[in-house]
Amino acid sequence: MAPLLQMTGITKRFPGVVACRDVSFAVEAGEIHGLLGENGAGKSTLVKILYGLVDPDEGRIEIDGREVRIRSPRHALALGVGMVHQHFMLVPTMTVAENVALGLRSDRPPLSRLRRVAAKVAELSQRYGFHIDPDQQVGELSVGLQQRVEILKLLCRGAELLVLDEPTAVLTPQEWQQLRGTMRSLADAGKAIVFISHKLDEQLSISDRCTVLRDGSVMGTVATAETDKASLARMMVGRDVVLRTERPPRAPGRPVLEVHGLHLNAAEDRCLLADISFTIAQGEIVGIAGVDGNGQRELVEVLMGIRTATTGTIRHEGETVTRLTPRRYNRIGAVIPEDRHRMAIALGLSVRENLVLKDFCRQPFSHRGITRPRVFRDFCASLLQEFDIRTPSLDVAMRQLSGGNQQKVVLAREMHRDPGLLIAAQPTRGLDVGAIEFVYRRLLEHRERGGATLLVSTELDEILSLADRIAVLVSGRFVALLENRDIDIQELGLLMGGASEMVAS
Amino acid sequence: MRRDQVTAALSPVLVNLGALLLTVAISMGVIAVSGNDPVAAMRALWDGAFGGRTQIAGTLSKMIPLMLVALGWIVAYRARRVSIGFEGQILAGGILATWVGLSFSSLPMVIHLPLAVLAGVVGGALWAGIAAVLWARRSVNEIISTLLLNLIAIQIVNWLVRGPFQESTGTFPRSGPIAPSARWPELIEHTPLSWDFPLALATVFGIWFVLKRTTFGFRLQFTGANEEAARYGGIDTRSVTVIALVVSGALAGLAGSSLLLGGESRSMSDNFSANYGFEGIVVALLARNHPIACIPAALLFALLRQGGGLMEARVGVPSSVVMITQGLVILLVAGSGFLLDQRGRVRVDAEESTPHPPTEARRATVEVG
Repeated sequence: MAPLLQMTGITKRFPGVVACRDVSFAVEAGEIHGLLGENGAGKSTLVKILYGLVDPDEGRIEIDGREVRIRSPRHALALGVGMVHQHFMLVPTMTVAENVALGLRSDRPPLSRLRRVAAKVAELSQRYGFHIDPDQQVGELSVGLQQRVEILKLLCRGAELLVLDEPTAVLTPQEWQQLRGTMRSLADAGKAIVFISHKLDEQLSISDRCTVLRDGSVMGTVATAETDKASLARMMVGRDVVLRTERPPRAPGRPVLEVHGLHLNAAEDRCLLADISFTIAQGEIVGIAGVDGNGQRELVEVLMGIRTATTGTIRHEGETVTRLTPRRYNRIGAVIPEDRHRMAIALGLSVRENLVLKDFCRQPFSHRGITRPRVFRDFCASLLQEFDIRTPSLDVAMRQLSGGNQQKVVLAREMHRDPGLLIAAQPTRGLDVGAIEFVYRRLLEHRERGGATLLVSTELDEILSLADRIAVLVSGRFVALLENRDIDIQELGLLMGGASEMVAS
Repeated sequence: MRRDQVTAALSPVLVNLGALLLTVAISMGVIAVSGNDPVAAMRALWDGAFGGRTQIAGTLSKMIPLMLVALGWIVAYRARRVSIGFEGQILAGGILATWVGLSFSSLPMVIHLPLAVLAGVVGGALWAGIAAVLWARRSVNEIISTLLLNLIAIQIVNWLVRGPFQESTGTFPRSGPIAPSARWPELIEHTPLSWDFPLALATVFGIWFVLKRTTFGFRLQFTGANEEAARYGGIDTRSVTVIALVVSGALAGLAGSSLLLGGESRSMSDNFSANYGFEGIVVALLARNHPIACIPAALLFALLRQGGGLMEARVGVPSSVVMITQGLVILLVAGSGFLLDQRGRVRVDAEESTPHPPTEARRATVEVG
């Protein structure tokens, strides 16, 4: 029997790049098929071709054994191919049923058949164990549930093949567990799923088979049961990847940052941060673990002067700096903000302009308010080299770089002059293994040189392999502050997870 | 690579030129349809704008406020603030310049003229400063505040020219004559072109330099490109934006002072801003927000303003045709800009770097429904 989807010899060239080179892969009904590759390996182009957004230059697509040319997303849906985008396409102020009905042709126009859609939603939700009430407002649903609404939309349109584009990027670990259940029950019901993710653990835990892309070419398709993390990583990056880090023991130096009794209240006396106290010494990495949205962002913003603490003191090398501004903070420390696109870089500006953000008003970059482009150029060129930033030139827009290279630009900008203090918030979010390895190495080098680091991360593995001490942040409070020695990952997860239920209730 | 760069630099020029040719063609079509001779009309337009010394001087002098207002737009828009208050700022600048020009007439020109010009700059800056402070302190949308400030300025001028500033006979709604010591000397004798023209040109290059080569220009650019990232990077985005709005108003105020202290005008009338405050925005649009490109763009609109009169007088083409032409320029140039953007976007897609939700989202909502 022919596979549900067969793509053969797909090639797509863009001016200057070959995004897909002779790509072939097949998905069977009832299969979860992983698509794995670094940022820029050609995953999204392939998916856009499948979804009718991009026309391939060469190659054939067969669905159920019949050759097709997919002209538009609407056409793709008619052929049974549905896609859940990373950014949801939902109207928050409308109910689940209304969202599903949007764009769905009524069987008796011009009357809308909302009740019928709602019944269908309820039935599908029942069948796959989605626990979704068709009459609930989408805006009230958690991110994980909204994702299910997206899937429901596709199921109501008769999709047989579901493409999930980086679905886990927005989920908490708990929600990811639930999504796994959802995906499995869909596959058991005979749907095919293409699961895009560059996280190896996720691929290994859910996919039946996995197709690995590198530089636009297929490196191979493997059954996940017969492979392991190391060999997948090697296929994806093209060399061995070391994520297990060695943290040589160190003698704690002088305290660099001392935080005492920090409180931050929002307008209506809602407490965002409560009684936060810790110190970071030279050559020490303090990790803040916790589920997203428990005060991490607020803590970082207070420490770098974007918000002012309600009470409490912050001391930097013995000097009280509680009333900081971002400008003053940038003189004493560096920051890798949690949301790269929003807080760290300007996508529309060039690589050069993004690289000099922290230095442009210092000598020798400028003199009496006049900038010196030549100094910029030399400086940036040396940073490209040192931080291995892959870019066609310094003048291209930041938007054109892959996520990993964008993060390297941020890293280069913040770390090139050995800041004594570094705040790194989710420094590897959205990066592939190759880039993650690079970030880890840089953070550890910073530690080696005696820099103090505050590492905020939702990835437990990351915290456990990098941090010397670990604080668990729940609802704006530290529920634990532990030495990273013989920590039980289960226990840490419980501290985070048990508390995250408290947040939900 | 070399060839790519040449193409990249040339293609906007060629596309804009194509848009202009198309504009001329369509305008001639419209004139023909309205029952006039299009070739004669174009000749008249040309003669009116460039037919002689006086005409050329008139065209050039009309460039001054257009260029200055366009610069004002560009500076504010660098911080992604949309100001449409240039009319009001021109009027506010004009008021202070006129006040200085009417008073202190015993001063020598070397002091009186700079003082009057400076008063104009300050007037525009203050008027824009109101909107800037409202934005910074109370988050009042600058589009609305600047628009409403226009209306207030118009009424103040209406009152002034019928009240405190009115000429001594009290018959006409205009001010008395501005002292000769506060007026720009002629650049070409017996023509409307005065020495404020080179000043305006110098301002164009000055603003270009500030935006391109100063730390303030960098702050402004980063603030406009991503305000939050700029703030994380240690830029005081709020004060940068306030300064940008105030400078933008100062430029419009300078334009206002020029309208009263230069050219043919001798006194302030109630409508001296003559819609320059909005036409200047269009000039900036045509220049695609590049300061230097404001010079040719302002020339084009000055040409239409200056030559349109003769076209009407000699060939009988209604002046509304000139407005149609202006509209066409905007539509076609904006359209061709879209063309250029599209080409840029394809190249970005090719890199397949990061998801850019806006485009993707729009496509998907439209097509998936």
